[in-house]
Amino acid sequence: MPQSLTLIAKPESLTAVTEFVRKGAREANLPELHMRQLELMIEEILANIWRYSYPEDAPGRVAVTYSVSRPGEMEVEVADQGVAFDPLTADAPDLTLDLSRRPVGGLGILLVKSFARSLKYRRELGWNRLSFEISANP
Amino acid sequence: MTIDCTQMGGKVVLHVAGRMDAESAAHLEGQCDSCIAEGATSLVIDLGDLSYVSSMGLRSFVGIAKKLKNKGGELRICRLTGLVRQVFEITRLNQVFPMYESVESALLGG
Repeated sequence: MPQSLTLIAKPESLTAVTEFVRKGAREANLPELHMRQLELMIEEILANIWRYSYPEDAPGRVAVTYSVSRPGEMEVEVADQGVAFDPLTADAPDLTLDLSRRPVGGLGILLVKSFARSLKYRRELGWNRLSFEISANP
Repeated sequence: MTIDCTQMGGKVVLHVAGRMDAESAAHLEGQCDSCIAEGATSLVIDLGDLSYVSSMGLRSFVGIAKKLKNKGGELRICRLTGLVRQVFEITRLNQVFPMYESVESALLGG
């Protein structure tokens, strides 16, 4: 059965959301490495929401839902009501640049794409809904 | 996250352990800034006991390395494991900084 947690999208909410998804990861028996990958994905997605989705002086809600379909697998959805933004269409960072030309940021979405088994975005009734699956199964 | 700072072979070695998230990344950058202000031009960062790093942490490593390069030195990173190794490989930052398997080899450089 899916479990949900809704909080205000701000840095102070990260600990509670991380603890919430860790509970799901334990239910799914995810190995430690996958649990850390999951935490990283959650941090990157939430950081994008509090930085870019809502105005800095008016943070809005973020709803995180997870479900465990079978051992070793977990589905997660992160939803917000900020400006429409599909991270799947964001420009990929240029990883070939040397240090002097490397921008200091822009790597979060790349990491999320790399660790997610599947990653989907839809805009629905004013909500951005980013869902992904993490799996330790082959 | 904890940072232990030691002098080895005339170089500063920072041993970073625990989790490096947005908040603690700034802490490491501050520590490195202090070392640079005290005259260090090259730093060795030992990540053997770091279990977690997000893109905010990576941002700090890139920032520190740029400052050291401007001083004519470099940032040497060693002992990557688990998620931290994956994150450096995915972002190809393992090809941007010199990476070493041990503190000793990082001190020798090359």
